[in-house]
Amino acid sequence: MRKMLKRVLVLALAAAMTLSLAACGGDDNKKDDAKYTYNTALSVFPTNWNPHQNQTTTDAEILDYISEGFYAFDYNETEDGYKLVPQMATQDPVDVTKDYVGKYGIAEGDTAKAWKIVLRDDLCWEDGTAIKAEDFVTSAKLLLDPVAGNYRADSLYSGSMVIVNAKNYLYNGKTVYATDMAANGYHEVVKGADGYYTTKDGNEVAVKLNDACYFFGASIADYSNYFGDSYATLESLADAEGVIKVNDEVMNILKAVSTAIGYGTPDEWQEFCFISESFPEMDFSEVGLIATADNELVIVLEKPLEGFYLLYNLTSSWLVNEDLYTKCTTVTDGVYNNTYGTSAETTISYGPYKLASFQADKQYVLERNDKHHDVKDGYYMTTTWQVDYVAEASTRLEYFLKGDLDSYGLQAEDMATYQQSEHTYFTDGESTYFVALNPSKSGLEKAQAAAGENINKTILTVKEFRQALSFALNRDEFALATMPTLSPAFGVFSNLIISDPENGTAYRTTEEAKKVLADFWGVSNEIGDGKLYADIDEAVNSITGYNLEKAKQLFNEAYDKAIAEGLMDADDVVEIKIGLPSATSSTYTNGYEFLSNCYTEAVKGTKLEGKLTFTKDDTIGNAFSDALKANQVDLLFYVGWNGAALDPYSLMEAYTSPNYQYDPAWDTSTAMWDIKLSDGVTYTASVLDWTYCMNGEKITIKAADGTTKEFSCGTADENPVDRFAILAALEGAVLSTYDMIPLTGDASAALKGMQIKYYKEDYIFGVGRGGLKYMKYNYTDAEWADYVSEQGGKLVYN
Amino acid sequence: MNMLKYVLKRIALMFFVLFVIMTMCFILIKLLPVTDAAQFGKDMNLILQRREALGYNKPLLEQLFIFFQRSVFGGDWGISEALYRGQDVWAVFISKLPATIMVNIYSMCFSVPTGLLLGIYAALKKNKWQDHVISTLVVVFISVPSYVYAFLVQYLLCFKLDLFPLQMNSGTDYFSFSMFMSVVPAVLSLAFGSIAGLARYVRAELSEVLTSDFMLLARTKGLTRSQATIRHALRNSMVPVFPMILGEFVAILSGSLIIEKIFGVPGVGQLYVNSITALDYNFFMLLSAFYTLVGLTAGIVVDISYGFIDPRIRMGER
Repeated sequence: MRKMLKRVLVLALAAAMTLSLAACGGDDNKKDDAKYTYNTALSVFPTNWNPHQNQTTTDAEILDYISEGFYAFDYNETEDGYKLVPQMATQDPVDVTKDYVGKYGIAEGDTAKAWKIVLRDDLCWEDGTAIKAEDFVTSAKLLLDPVAGNYRADSLYSGSMVIVNAKNYLYNGKTVYATDMAANGYHEVVKGADGYYTTKDGNEVAVKLNDACYFFGASIADYSNYFGDSYATLESLADAEGVIKVNDEVMNILKAVSTAIGYGTPDEWQEFCFISESFPEMDFSEVGLIATADNELVIVLEKPLEGFYLLYNLTSSWLVNEDLYTKCTTVTDGVYNNTYGTSAETTISYGPYKLASFQADKQYVLERNDKHHDVKDGYYMTTTWQVDYVAEASTRLEYFLKGDLDSYGLQAEDMATYQQSEHTYFTDGESTYFVALNPSKSGLEKAQAAAGENINKTILTVKEFRQALSFALNRDEFALATMPTLSPAFGVFSNLIISDPENGTAYRTTEEAKKVLADFWGVSNEIGDGKLYADIDEAVNSITGYNLEKAKQLFNEAYDKAIAEGLMDADDVVEIKIGLPSATSSTYTNGYEFLSNCYTEAVKGTKLEGKLTFTKDDTIGNAFSDALKANQVDLLFYVGWNGAALDPYSLMEAYTSPNYQYDPAWDTSTAMWDIKLSDGVTYTASVLDWTYCMNGEKITIKAADGTTKEFSCGTADENPVDRFAILAALEGAVLSTYDMIPLTGDASAALKGMQIKYYKEDYIFGVGRGGLKYMKYNYTDAEWADYVSEQGGKLVYN
Repeated sequence: MNMLKYVLKRIALMFFVLFVIMTMCFILIKLLPVTDAAQFGKDMNLILQRREALGYNKPLLEQLFIFFQRSVFGGDWGISEALYRGQDVWAVFISKLPATIMVNIYSMCFSVPTGLLLGIYAALKKNKWQDHVISTLVVVFISVPSYVYAFLVQYLLCFKLDLFPLQMNSGTDYFSFSMFMSVVPAVLSLAFGSIAGLARYVRAELSEVLTSDFMLLARTKGLTRSQATIRHALRNSMVPVFPMILGEFVAILSGSLIIEKIFGVPGVGQLYVNSITALDYNFFMLLSAFYTLVGLTAGIVVDISYGFIDPRIRMGER
């Protein structure tokens, strides 16, 4: 037996040795000398890059290189900014509105509504098949297919570029109940002869059992327990889609619930309701997209649009290959499906790269498309772009240090080692992250009652308390503890937000924006000769947002106020529940620890000492963004909005429109705000109205002497001065609530591999550091392999 | 005959349990609230309309009926609506299964003989230094979570010593040598826990059997120690161990969430958790049905296997 065991052990050892020796043979992945491979890694992999259905930025990343837009961002002449240049087009769009007078709703005298785009004549698919203007029309028809209901269909009718009849064709003959009735304030309702209510405009008012309503932020079905026996009544009245038109019976049910658990205002029942929108039957020939020649495409718009925003809206395209697309389409039991853009076989490119292979959750490889016009023109040195799925950051770093990756996004734990590296590049992001607070008195009262005896939450309704939370927060240290690449934020908009896209002016660099910060952080009075700061720049640069002394004073004031107003008893303990999306995210768990420790320390020596406690709910998951609205928690951090970097005017809606607000308590339809316009007069309107006004809607504004006037300064108007003044004023309004406290700006840091060379060191909005188009290489793949080998297989970047 | 009746009864019960579990899974996942984050300028009706078309707004029992009719009896498990949008869930699942199976089979091939040998050796050397070394290592590998030594394996063997690639190779040439080399770190990381578990179990069982009266009898009948150990002790000690090995086969199909993630194995290990997080109903139900069925089948196979390993155990006997 002993001999046998020895033999087995010897055999096992021999096998292990053989494996080890074989492994020493190294990587047999030999690279061609002429190749320039860009190697990157993703921790989330794309799954669907169908131009009509993609949903995530990861999906869009493939799409960005296998397709292109009519226009594209490129460097300006001095290469210190961006400009939009023709990409698939040969020139800027030509205004042909007058050619379409009497058609598509265009009237005599209209301008900027019909645009002719002249296409390049060398556009083609990767297989060489030519792309004609008619292909764009066909692709638009597929995109707007009423049966498909494509996720990206709204790209042709939402936002500032609205193609005539695009939405009508999509919803062909349907009535949809998609608009929250209370989203833009309450409506006056009219009872019809049939007993059902409509709005003044004649739109039907209905309840939908299964869709998230404004009142709950979730569906009525999810909260059916609040309706008791009445829910059965609602179910009996609902049609097959769960829609119930509102009559007296339904209204009474809704009013009973809103009175019982809401604010109890007379029109609050409308927060359960939706209003209808009916669409006529429509043939695709009535949609404003016409191929007037093989290389001429005319788009007809419902609203005039020109200049930067017209080109910007045309920086992507809806083009698909009709043959392949049709092969990928199925309709089973009325359910449409399309697998276009889900694998290498179902993908065809017309961009600078083509998808050579794709293995789900493992790797995809893009190869340069030598038929592409930019490639022919000598751009895109990268011959192959290989993207691997590497979930763990530590593994990505190991790959990077072995020379197998060309960039590595630094993590918090890497910063100490690589922060000072000459290979580290810092990039500001567009988003601002906030601490969002719940100052909804009714919501807090309910949570307070549920939390138990002597637990207080309603002190959050006291503005001084929220101010104190803001001043007690050392944002630099918070970033270090959670995401060290981030920098502190003091305003609503980040440094990358562009307020004048035509000229590329960043909002934060304007005098108005600086004044907002100076006023809000209380340094305005310290500017000037003989004062603390020589000019506003110096004052703004001095802002840290951290003032512990002031915070302590505000905590005391808040306590006194809460006691005086009966919001709190002397023996109460304040308990703030902080929401975390999960228990496994170190960013959020560290953030929670930081906030609770920082505030516990901050109240020492104040009347709230020992009376401020924190709990967490780390089970929120997907409902993170709605947790405040649902009164599930009292505080969220690292919340914010992404996108719209070129349009802060519409981005403002995220903070002022009830559709998007994190804060459920700030009623912007009644919160009035004074703004001085360019005529020198100060006018008053609601915050919500001001927001709509700078996005093109006509509102009524009131001067101090009582006179009123209709006013609008949206994109179609030539009033950029007032528009900008309103934007800055509204930023001040949002900040002044202290419901959304600026925390950090989005930013990232990454190590750049030594094989590649960025075109520009500085990051510029729209063009980055030159992207793949301009990127150069210090070594071919073969030279790089030799270089790495010479370094012993491990590179040093710090 | 009794055995056949027993097996048929177990199979019937298995389908009943499967039905109950599927019903519970279906209802519970559908009860989770669906919240679509608001997006700028997004026509949310497109999302609501899709949900309507997919029948998500129908009464739950009706949806359950459709599910059983279409998926369980019709074999159409539907389209992924979140994780792999637009793709057939069965096709995606099947395409990812080979990588998981390969890694786990290699792992079993390595861990079972190694675990058994170490366990036997420790039992034979009970209370000697060899036993102490093995037992200490067993305790270490059982106590330390697999991801810890997965990272260690990756760092030491792949990064520092450069013996293996950091992650599994891409592609589907699962039987190539380079692919084999690329999965060795994952296989080792998966195997350590199993080796330790098996070694501990075998050592305990064999130690007990070696001190039994019948072993003394065997020696007194003139058998050598080796003969007595191999012919009598080992076979008896395998009665509880063998079903444990069979049970491990279930793991072959389910994969490991952490190990697959660390070593880039494009398998099914992460699918189940991701399907719940993303509320991908069709994926969740397919995976629930598949793994429940595999688990229940394995249970029956393990129970029946007792009879073959130890003839004293009779199935279905009163």
